[in-house]
Amino acid sequence: MEKLLQVNNLSVSFDTYGGEVQAVRGVNFDVHKGETLAIVGESGSGKSVTTKALMRLIPQPPGRIKEGEILFEGKDLAKLSEKQMEKIRGKDISMIFQDPMTSLNPTMKIGNQIMEGLIKHQKMSRSQAKKRAVELMELVGLPDAANRVDQYPHQFSGGQRQRVVVAIALACNPKLLIADEPTTALDVTIQAQILELMKDIQKKTDSSIIFITHDLGVVANVADRVAVMYAGKIVEIGTVDEIFYNPKHPYTWGLLGSMPSLDSADEDLYAIPGTPPDLIAPPKGDAFAARNDYAMKIDFEQQPPMFKVSDTHYAATWLLHEHAPDVEPPASIQRRMQGFAQEAELNTKGDRS
Amino acid sequence: MARYITKRLIYMLLTLIIIATFSFFLMKMLPGTPLTMEDKLSETQKEIILEKYGLNDPVPIQYLKYMGGLAVGDLGISFQFDNREVTDIIMDRIGPSMQLGAQALIIGTIIGMLLGLVAAIYHNGFLDYSSTFVAVIGKSIPSFIFAGLLQYFIALKLGWFPVALWGSWQHTVLPTVALAMFPIAIAARFMRTEMLEVLGSDFIQTARAKGVNKFGVVFKHGVRNALIPLVTVMGPLAVGLMTGTLVIEKIFAVPGIGEQFVTSITTNDFPIIMGTTLFFSFFFIFIILVIDLLYGIIDPRIRLAEGEK
Repeated sequence: MEKLLQVNNLSVSFDTYGGEVQAVRGVNFDVHKGETLAIVGESGSGKSVTTKALMRLIPQPPGRIKEGEILFEGKDLAKLSEKQMEKIRGKDISMIFQDPMTSLNPTMKIGNQIMEGLIKHQKMSRSQAKKRAVELMELVGLPDAANRVDQYPHQFSGGQRQRVVVAIALACNPKLLIADEPTTALDVTIQAQILELMKDIQKKTDSSIIFITHDLGVVANVADRVAVMYAGKIVEIGTVDEIFYNPKHPYTWGLLGSMPSLDSADEDLYAIPGTPPDLIAPPKGDAFAARNDYAMKIDFEQQPPMFKVSDTHYAATWLLHEHAPDVEPPASIQRRMQGFAQEAELNTKGDRS
Repeated sequence: MARYITKRLIYMLLTLIIIATFSFFLMKMLPGTPLTMEDKLSETQKEIILEKYGLNDPVPIQYLKYMGGLAVGDLGISFQFDNREVTDIIMDRIGPSMQLGAQALIIGTIIGMLLGLVAAIYHNGFLDYSSTFVAVIGKSIPSFIFAGLLQYFIALKLGWFPVALWGSWQHTVLPTVALAMFPIAIAARFMRTEMLEVLGSDFIQTARAKGVNKFGVVFKHGVRNALIPLVTVMGPLAVGLMTGTLVIEKIFAVPGIGEQFVTSITTNDFPIIMGTTLFFSFFFIFIILVIDLLYGIIDPRIRLAEGEK
């Protein structure tokens, strides 16, 4: 598959009074055409900062891209001028934000907010852009679009607003859509609707999606591949199946274990002990070592490299080193993994019949 | 909307009646009569005059008479200027005050807003500090100091504009500038704070993610959302500026209403005190109505809430 985006050794830091916060520390990943990459991790793991850096939306100062390349169709976005970036934002790469209640301008008509990108990037006239805005609103499933195009955000519900946000992001048929926790602020029914909408649109437009979330249920639903981030680094990356059925990093085990499920009512929900490290002074070795039940001496000394599990599956844990002892994931996680596998089997059987 | 405005106008009337009542009795508690300073008149002469103007009646009777006159739009006759109607005197004097106030307000708001915007855009940069400096100067140095400096340097040394008096538009320039310093400072400060907050909000990020440039972000998305607090403070300030400022009018020898008001109090010129007070109150309430209507124009969320009332 053709690569749309390739991120090489990206590091982003924020200069604060307390010191340099290394929010993203050398991240590598790529996104192929038409695929959905999910980035998961807990709050403060650098997911949002990574994707904002892709669009160069990190406020500078205090933030800065310290090093690394962001190759989008061969062009290094990290080196473009602000003017050049303005031509890419909204046209080639666009973004869906987390909170639909605050991500629309309260004093501007919905139509105008959708039209803005069309007028700027596709040089449409106002009337053309308005016609297209109505079409887009219909595409994202907003009824009575012809009238509602002249309404203000407060006249829309939360789910409807998120549909508007999706319409804005889709306006210029972007090649890459970054969705920064697009369903976190919505209730579960609306969540499912928005996810369906995004999958549907991806099928129609063949765009790539980077999907940031901390909801693994959503990941299983939408993603082709998953990158797990911890303390500003990607600790494991692989296809959805590999991450869910054969996770290798203890942090991924923890994440999967802490995912509530309907059939695990009798046991306590697992919580990863401790707190994430201070990124002003990140630990010398593996950043997860202090919270890791399986940590070895070397975890506190040296950062693990990315070990190859398969052609598509990599994990940064010393447990994969040839001299490391064989460690099995905890029993509860194993049960989970089996559960996922059974579910998947049922689903595929269901598809066949 | 029409219903809303009618309702507001009725409330305005009630407010004015209450203000008139309070001011009337407060004024009657002032010691002395309009004739206290007139040494040349004998006691009997004073008695005759007081009797003639109804000032010997019990206060409640005077009040009822006054309110009766008010109901038909009669503000009475000034004691200070023989036989001139209060309405006449106010109309005569309000012109220059209104003009100076309006000029200072418009110029002050525009310059202040621009300073505030520049400060917000170049946050923590040189331009931010410079504009904050101007705002602090404008707010902390009293206008009569500026007035004096302007008269000395611009009028006397450079001779660009007349030092004082009232006549051509050139006469209005220096008092306008002196008056505008305060609104500049207020507008700059509020605009800066609000704009910084607005620029940090999520929808600004949405706009930037669409590819909107810095200029578009500030002017198309930012300003309108930053205006509400500014309008709130500028309203009462507008009233203060346009109803005359004693100090500036004195320094530039402008025949405005500010001076008139103060003189009327020291001479116990009851009808003028009442007339001016009521005029100022009316103006103030009116401006508040205008501000409330402006809110609706600026922010559609407020508009809807009004429609539902």
